[in-house]
Amino acid sequence: MTDTSAIVILIAAILTNNILLTNFLGMCSFVACSGQIATAVGLGTAVTFVLTMTTMLNFAIYHLVLVPAGLVHLQFIVFIAVIAAFVQFVEMFVERFSPRLYFALGIFLPLITVNCAILGASLFMVIRKYSFTQSVGFGFGAGVGWALAIILMAGLRQKMMYSNIPEPFRQVPIAMIVTCVLAMAFMGFAGMVSIQ
Amino acid sequence: MADKQPPTCLSCGAGGLCGGRGLLTLKDGAWTNNPLAVQILGICSALAVTNRLENSLVMGAALIFVCVGSNLFVSLLRKHTPHRIRMIAEVAIIATFVILFDQLLKAFYWDMSKQLGPYVGLIITNCIVMGRAEAFALQNPPLLSVIDGAANGFGYAVVLAIIGFFRELFGTGQIFGHVVLSSEWYTPNQLMILAPGAFFALGIVIAVFNAIKGPEPEEKK
Amino acid sequence: MKKGSCYTLGYAGVLGSVCALLLTAASSFTAPYRDANADAEVKRNILDVLGVRYSPDVSSRQLLEVFEAKVKQEESAELTLYRYIPPEDSDEVKSVAVAFEGPGLWGPIKGFLALEPDMKTIRGLTFYEQEETPGLGGEIASVWFREQFKGRKITGDAGKTGIVIKPGGKASAINEVDAITGATMTCDKVEAILNDVIKKITGSRSTDG
Repeated sequence: MTDTSAIVILIAAILTNNILLTNFLGMCSFVACSGQIATAVGLGTAVTFVLTMTTMLNFAIYHLVLVPAGLVHLQFIVFIAVIAAFVQFVEMFVERFSPRLYFALGIFLPLITVNCAILGASLFMVIRKYSFTQSVGFGFGAGVGWALAIILMAGLRQKMMYSNIPEPFRQVPIAMIVTCVLAMAFMGFAGMVSIQ
Repeated sequence: MADKQPPTCLSCGAGGLCGGRGLLTLKDGAWTNNPLAVQILGICSALAVTNRLENSLVMGAALIFVCVGSNLFVSLLRKHTPHRIRMIAEVAIIATFVILFDQLLKAFYWDMSKQLGPYVGLIITNCIVMGRAEAFALQNPPLLSVIDGAANGFGYAVVLAIIGFFRELFGTGQIFGHVVLSSEWYTPNQLMILAPGAFFALGIVIAVFNAIKGPEPEEKK
Repeated sequence: MKKGSCYTLGYAGVLGSVCALLLTAASSFTAPYRDANADAEVKRNILDVLGVRYSPDVSSRQLLEVFEAKVKQEESAELTLYRYIPPEDSDEVKSVAVAFEGPGLWGPIKGFLALEPDMKTIRGLTFYEQEETPGLGGEIASVWFREQFKGRKITGDAGKTGIVIKPGGKASAINEVDAITGATMTCDKVEAILNDVIKKITGSRSTDG
């Protein structure tokens, strides 16, 4: 348990404990979709939405169903089932009510189900014993943090398209090294979180 | 990929059990299409647990266990699984093996369980396991699927071990907790065991892998 | 079409049930081992902070046996005390440990505080659970931070109860230790948690007389 406010947890999840740059979650889609800024913005938005909602859902299910029933050992399966079902539901909903939005974001939704950041956020919420407001702050902050990282990365990679990179380093290796520098930069935020 | 079938069996003594594709599948999974270095899958855990060599090896073992188990059962059930729920069925099978491993780890290797933390559970979303189940086990007989699972798991474990080896060595001067680079002349580079070091090590390893393999006629994304 | 849906549902049901059953079976099978491990970890911390010597590669079961043999657990209304009685002397109390627990910055902080038999001087400190920022708040678990507490007293010069974790390297009084640079909040929280348990110790001491 912790009595750190939800706002502080939110800011921390974006900057100091960025779910991608510190906890390495959500790397696969990060590497695959950070080529273009537009794609990154789309995916980042979708991930933020799903992260916030599923963290809340999983909190409710964990505390209202799993714990009282003594089924805590099934949390992995239940969480991922909830995430998959939620994404499926959102996909159907968006397709029905906003074809334009579906055209823009729909392609990302199946990708999000296997995004480790989504499941990871729920697992962290359980491990750190967050309350409901803390979980919401954490889920939203993690999503924004992930989106921030991927958008920064997309901007950098678009610039790098015109650089003369040695053959073995092209595409992924140089992206990793750039992410290394990005992670170092974010480490500089470490001491900034303070409560009055 | 499936139409690269050789006309004769690359004899391994099993007498054509795998339809002549056993050795090819093995080489493909471990080297040609190495899940980490070539397909760039499963990076999350590769970065998170490679701060110590011991952790990398256990995670590699975990992935081999899960990949083989899930490939086996997905393949066994492939003719009975309705198409619409195949992804959910895959996830259920994968999750079962992951949780089994997690429970065994907590029971018999407690310290390691604490070190790996949530990253054992995150094997469920590891793109390698899901990818192999979907792309291979669903269309291939059980024995071949097991070989594929083992090959991919092994390829992943080897790359993980290499990254873990260098990160622990340069980050702490130790291997398996034993001092190798004496602190008298080597100041451990703590950045190597933190997040930036992980990204850096992975980038270098993939670059070296690319350099060794040489340029390949690959379709650009 | 209807038959297809029935089959799909049936298949899903059977698969789900088999998986859940398998996992519940595995969970029950490993439960005693897991519980022993978790218990041993807590008890290992108590033994460490009390200064009990035991073989480093002892198993969880053996550790629990060592604990049962050497440490006496005393429960009072507010506090659970763990007393260590060394075998050489006859029943002389060598050290006492209490558990502390409270909210840290990012998660719960749990550990044990060991005191000399006078219940005033600190013998040692361990943390067995904390989620603080590695390299900053996480340093509370490091050797140098915990070593500071050895020999310090839980009450200050003017009779003020409680330890003070002082930033700026200015720790001087007998109940003060140095804070970790850049980890002010974690140190504040640790100070609060420790003082909470110290209040219970001094409170129960005054009622014992």
